Amino acid sequence: MKLTLRINGSVVEQDADPLARLSEFLRQVLGLTGLKEGCCEGECGACTILMDGAPVHACLTLIFQAHEREITTVEGLGDAGVLTDLQAQFAGAGAVQCGYCTPGIIMSAEGLLRSTLTPSDEEIRHALAGNICRCTGFETIVRAVAAEAARRCEAGC
Amino acid sequence: MEQVSQRIPLIDAAEKLTGRLRFAADMTLPGLLHGAFLFSPRAHARIVEVDPAGALAVSGVIGVWWHANTPQNSYNSSIWFAGQKALADERMFPPVVRHMGDRVAVVLAETEAIARAAVTRIVVSFEDLPAILTPEPTVAHAVAAAGVEEAIYPDPVEQVHFTHGDPDAAFARADHVTEAVVYTPRSHHCAIEPHVCVAWPEPGGRVAIHSPCQSVYAVQAVVAQALGIAADRLHVTKAPIGGSFGGKAEPILEPICALLAERTGRPVRIAFNRHETFTATRTRAASRGKMRIALACDGRILGRETDVTVDIGAYCTGGNYLPGSMLQRLVRLYAVPAERYRGRAVYTNTLPTGAFRGYGSPQIHALGEIVLDLASREMGLDPVAVRARNIVTPGALEPWQGLSLGNARGADCLHRGAEAFDWTRRRSAASGRGRFRTGVGMAAATHINGCFPGEDEATTATLRLTPEGRIELTCALHDLGCGSDTTLAQIAAEVLGLRAADIRITPADTDTCPYDLGTRASRMTYIAGEAVRLAATALAAAIVDTGGQALNAARSEIRLRGGQIEAPHRAITFADLAAWLSVRGTDTPSATHTHRATANPGSYAAHFAEVEVDTLTGHIRVRDYLAAHDIGRAINPMLVEGQIYGGIQIGMGYALYEDAAVDPKTGRMRADSFTRYTLVNAPEMPPIRILLVEEGEATGPFGAKAVGEIATIPVAPAVVNAVNHALETRLTELPLLPERVLDALGQGSSS
Repeated sequence: MKLTLRINGSVVEQDADPLARLSEFLRQVLGLTGLKEGCCEGECGACTILMDGAPVHACLTLIFQAHEREITTVEGLGDAGVLTDLQAQFAGAGAVQCGYCTPGIIMSAEGLLRSTLTPSDEEIRHALAGNICRCTGFETIVRAVAAEAARRCEAGC
Repeated sequence: MEQVSQRIPLIDAAEKLTGRLRFAADMTLPGLLHGAFLFSPRAHARIVEVDPAGALAVSGVIGVWWHANTPQNSYNSSIWFAGQKALADERMFPPVVRHMGDRVAVVLAETEAIARAAVTRIVVSFEDLPAILTPEPTVAHAVAAAGVEEAIYPDPVEQVHFTHGDPDAAFARADHVTEAVVYTPRSHHCAIEPHVCVAWPEPGGRVAIHSPCQSVYAVQAVVAQALGIAADRLHVTKAPIGGSFGGKAEPILEPICALLAERTGRPVRIAFNRHETFTATRTRAASRGKMRIALACDGRILGRETDVTVDIGAYCTGGNYLPGSMLQRLVRLYAVPAERYRGRAVYTNTLPTGAFRGYGSPQIHALGEIVLDLASREMGLDPVAVRARNIVTPGALEPWQGLSLGNARGADCLHRGAEAFDWTRRRSAASGRGRFRTGVGMAAATHINGCFPGEDEATTATLRLTPEGRIELTCALHDLGCGSDTTLAQIAAEVLGLRAADIRITPADTDTCPYDLGTRASRMTYIAGEAVRLAATALAAAIVDTGGQALNAARSEIRLRGGQIEAPHRAITFADLAAWLSVRGTDTPSATHTHRATANPGSYAAHFAEVEVDTLTGHIRVRDYLAAHDIGRAINPMLVEGQIYGGIQIGMGYALYEDAAVDPKTGRMRADSFTRYTLVNAPEMPPIRILLVEEGEATGPFGAKAVGEIATIPVAPAVVNAVNHALETRLTELPLLPERVLDALGQGSSS
């Protein structure tokens, strides 16, 4: 089936099995390996991407569901190799350890900050409840997200 | 100091945050083949026949391998170097499967989907054998297993007996004796990266293995033993590691991946999915421990008697070391004048066990700290005061190996932690009689720094000035995500007057790095850090020498600072010095140092928790937490705190939720996915305060000691003790699932 996907600002027209996992397609066909497949059952959140600005688990999304939608992966957040402000907050707060869950958590956090710039700590924690990080205890991640929310608020974003 | 004690971000943070870091599962290679396993559905069975025809008929399948067409060399997946003495009872594909999830066959195909589909078409007939699914160490164990396979089935696999002082006399004169049995569960690492390995043929009949591992040399030794080939035919490189916690310490996929690459002449990847990572890798061993403590009325421990059984599963791996490791850690916490210890490791027909953040420490300290807390309560004594009365003092010798515990600052952790937590007031506050009861509890713990004296505990580090003026560190390093690369870079940079980001670390590679034991036993900062510090000191001296020539200055005038070689009124950068040497045809300086440890000091911690228990549902919430750690010196306080935050998360799971139990009737692991294995997520984490006790350890780099493993060790007993305080219960079976809490409350009201 011919599908049109808008991925990280580019239009991709591709023949693909419409029932294949979006995460598999993004990783294997398009080489967007920033997102990871940690469980393929929507529990770990390592495959989190933004669809029309909202975080979704790419492993539970079938390709046809992404037809004509705006998809953003971690590769599409900023210029290649350059940290976005959110990512810089993570680095500065010590909110990254092994790095396997990190792109997914960045996408969940980015999704949250696109919906509110005044999240409480509790709202941040619940926004991250779909992501498992086994290294950090989430403490520094919550701090980094809060700091970025405050920065964007001040910058009037 | 410019680098040490500074909160410096990970030197590889940008690669990780942008998703550009390529883990093994992200790699593509031309002609890559994919493997998928058929796992045993039986707990213990002889394989009568394997019929691969159905699988071979699937288009895209390259081949099927099982016990009849693979090497049957016995091996032990936990060895660290070639020739290490170990019970070799594993095979790539055993003719007799010993647990559900044991490997029966592998299919190799053009895609992973084809391989997985073809696996289901292999027909296997089994002849069931008696299975032992619970760890009761009886003679029946050995009998049931005997004759099944001429290979070794000793049971218990290992026994350790130790007596110090006169325990009988201690119990005879005790004012109070407390006895309890504590169960700790089988638990799973849950690294977010599932197990994966890539292998490909290299020229000269060699095979390259690229995998997330904790020691490239351990991989090389195990694969060489399994394949029955010389170790130098294997070229092992470390892939980035998406979390390990001990789960990737033992090569599981590597022998088979290497074999298939060799057999087919093509690159091969085998990637476990989450279910397989749960059911076919390793777990932390469950334990049953009985402890009796004899106390004087003032809280002094007069004697202690401990009997521990650990269920190590179906293969020995390193499980035979557990009873000794648990003893080692037990005797390093309190000064106990009379001690009797028996530890046993027993086989069962369940998933093998292995290292998991603390290697025996979480089990033995859960036992010791929960029972000591019950004793304190029975005697009406304050748990902090009882611990403070007994905890070892700096310079104390432990009674088992006779080693000094170094600058052991457990007492500081207890006192400073209790004060900051406002322990005395909170402990005496009423827990309430209503539906929600609150309580506070605490626990202390200790853990080791490296493998001395059990192994030749040494690390060799080479530092070299590159032509670009940066410093390259060559050492078989495996940063598991804890930030050890950054920590070591800070140590080198501090000595050389550079920034951590100026240090380039080459990943571990058996072709280019000297032998190293790898990342285990809390040895990176304390052992490798000291090797790097001493190598950097030697390199600094060489740079001062050559810099003196370049600047026409005396050695005594030279300072290395801010990335420059400075003499009075003149300076050159490292890059300028490298260029100056290059045009003269001179090599840039380098230095190699082998640091061989002769000490194993203790790291200490005291953790304090407040919990709220819903007596209607049995649900427990940790509401507040404080962790005090004797760290010697924090090379990077931010990374140290990161270890402690993460350790608390894993420890809370151990106390409250995580249970990879095997069904004693069927042998099936109940927790085989994230939906059936509950982890602590962001909403469950309490506010956490951290206190670092930085009193220095003379044998550590800049005074530093380990934190990675001890961070999680006191957590479970601290939480359990808080719950027992809240409910006035004697809960001793972990995890404290709601039904266990409700049972305990029911029993409490009926009795």
